[in-house]
Amino acid sequence: MFFIPGGRKLKYQLSLMVSIIHLVTSYLVFTGFATPADSQWFRWDAFTKLFLLVLSHIYFWVILNSWHFINQSSTYSPEKSRKSFFSMMNLYLFANTLALVSNHLGLYWVALESTTLCVAPLIYYYRNKESLEAMWKYLFLVSVGIAFAFIGILFLALSAQGTDIFEKGLFLNDLIEGSSKLNLVWLKAGFIFIFAGLSTKAGIAPMHPGEVDALSNSPSPVAALVSASLSETALIGIFRLLQITAGTQVHQFAQVLMITGGVVSLLVAVVFMFRVTNFKRMIAYSSVEHIGLIVLGAGIGGPALIGSMLHMVYNSLNKTAMFLMAGNIHRAYKSREAKDVKGVLKNMRWTGILFMLAFLAVVAMPPFGLFFSELMIFRGLIEAERYVLLAVILFILLFVFIGMSRQTFSILYGKTDTSSGQKPATDEKFNISHLSAMALLLLLALSGLFMPGSFIGVINQIAGELTR
Amino acid sequence: MGNVLNILFCLSLLYLATTTRVTAYLKVFVLQSILLFFIVMLPLLNHISVFTLLLPLTILVVKAILIPWYIRKKIIYELEINTTIESNIQQFNFLLLSVFSMVAVFVFCNIITKDAAVAPIPFSAAFSSVVIGLYVIIFRKKLIVHVIGFLVMENGIFLLGIAVASEMPFLIELGMLLDIFVVVFLMGIAINRISSTFAADEVSALDKLKN
Repeated sequence: MFFIPGGRKLKYQLSLMVSIIHLVTSYLVFTGFATPADSQWFRWDAFTKLFLLVLSHIYFWVILNSWHFINQSSTYSPEKSRKSFFSMMNLYLFANTLALVSNHLGLYWVALESTTLCVAPLIYYYRNKESLEAMWKYLFLVSVGIAFAFIGILFLALSAQGTDIFEKGLFLNDLIEGSSKLNLVWLKAGFIFIFAGLSTKAGIAPMHPGEVDALSNSPSPVAALVSASLSETALIGIFRLLQITAGTQVHQFAQVLMITGGVVSLLVAVVFMFRVTNFKRMIAYSSVEHIGLIVLGAGIGGPALIGSMLHMVYNSLNKTAMFLMAGNIHRAYKSREAKDVKGVLKNMRWTGILFMLAFLAVVAMPPFGLFFSELMIFRGLIEAERYVLLAVILFILLFVFIGMSRQTFSILYGKTDTSSGQKPATDEKFNISHLSAMALLLLLALSGLFMPGSFIGVINQIAGELTR
Repeated sequence: MGNVLNILFCLSLLYLATTTRVTAYLKVFVLQSILLFFIVMLPLLNHISVFTLLLPLTILVVKAILIPWYIRKKIIYELEINTTIESNIQQFNFLLLSVFSMVAVFVFCNIITKDAAVAPIPFSAAFSSVVIGLYVIIFRKKLIVHVIGFLVMENGIFLLGIAVASEMPFLIELGMLLDIFVVVFLMGIAINRISSTFAADEVSALDKLKN
């Protein structure tokens, strides 16, 4: 499956097949048609079900688009990068799936580090200075971050020392069930280290720079994959930890830490939204903003927690569509600087319209799902009587909206400057990326309006597990 | 005996603060890895079997032979990296900072490990290693030295694992070693590319990505 010999077309077809099988399997697991037995090493709880579905969804759309993507002119797709593209993608899927289903934090750690290793060469796809720097920074920062997360795992082991959990080998289910036996001081220390460490990978401020560089300089399918599925894989680790603390007095402390992380992420996002000149970087900061909201909602608990789970799903769908369209713009204009890109709506009809829709979705306009999930988070804030926090968040979100729309509308509507020699293709044909973005946005709108019952069931299950 | 090895491990960290040669950094890393091997071996001496030897031997092969060989041959020699390290702060201040941090770590760890069933000396040694590794990454400029700083940190974490006496299953330990090796391998390739495209091997060259 990983190092397939033969032509690129064959690799693509095989990868697509793998992604479809993965998607079907995770749907079956999600809806409960197939329930793999919990074993010592693997875990199929509500978290796994939801996150696995998100992963396979995003992966399917990314793979579907990658054939079109890698067959672009060779200046944009170096031959060497094309060769290893599908192998790395498949390895990534394997490592990420392993991370999601693992029932042991050590196994999770190994799998998570492997995903970094698979993604790093993909970030370096364009083989230019910027992508090289982005790859180095991502690889280094995330590796150091994950090393810190491992210290946290060892502290967790310390907190279980002397109990039967320790002797059984520190499996997640034992840790969750026996959380009342854990030493609180070490559990607290463990949470701090794991939260800080995984933040580098999830893109929670102030640990976000590696993630932002990677998102803004990697090719669009890879950026979509990192933003929409890899951040979630890091988040599941944080949620699992939250799940362990749920039965103890450390829970409140963990919640405060998560709320702080969320607010700081929102603040960073709003500050940089006005400073970035690169539209892919703008989307990357929007990713920081949304991850911040997710973490914040999970920290508040109650309806906000349900809202944050929904937000995670919607954000993934939305970011995939957005990055795919941003990739189209980047290739047509040969620049990521907002000042070079004008009049997208006129020059690239399909991409322009879809980018606009994706933008409306990202700033949480109805009927897109993010609107409903954000409302849910706000409701949670009201129920928890955190009015000041709510006001601050609404204020920040307003400014994020202003900053982002300023850039986006200048890209979409501005007059094309012909003197600088930027001559984008004006006769854009409808292609697979448009179809995918359309499908994703439609899914985003429909799932916001008509939520399937099984979906609510799984999310309620998650909420139940986090607030025991 | 175990404590002697741990103290030696700490002293090797101080050498990192005094030397300014890349090859010396690498040698310290090898020395630490060998010490780590003996520290892992020590409790096993009474019941040696093929299976118990597997992990220490893998550590020895990966950390003391494979990774240093790769760094020496593929990065330092091939790129003809200037062997003197540039630093952001004065050499003497770096040493002072390291010593103070280590003392602080020892005192602090001694206090917090009182109630836990952890041996304070390995625990403190491990933490010192993590801290000094971080300092190396923060205060030194060469990318290759950053990689060695990261490895020193990893060694500290390994030692911490031994101090906590949490026995990760063998396959996970193996997976970790493999991950670390691949990280170093990828970083090596990246440094190779950076030195040819940026014509530099220092972190200050990496300033293209800004907001």
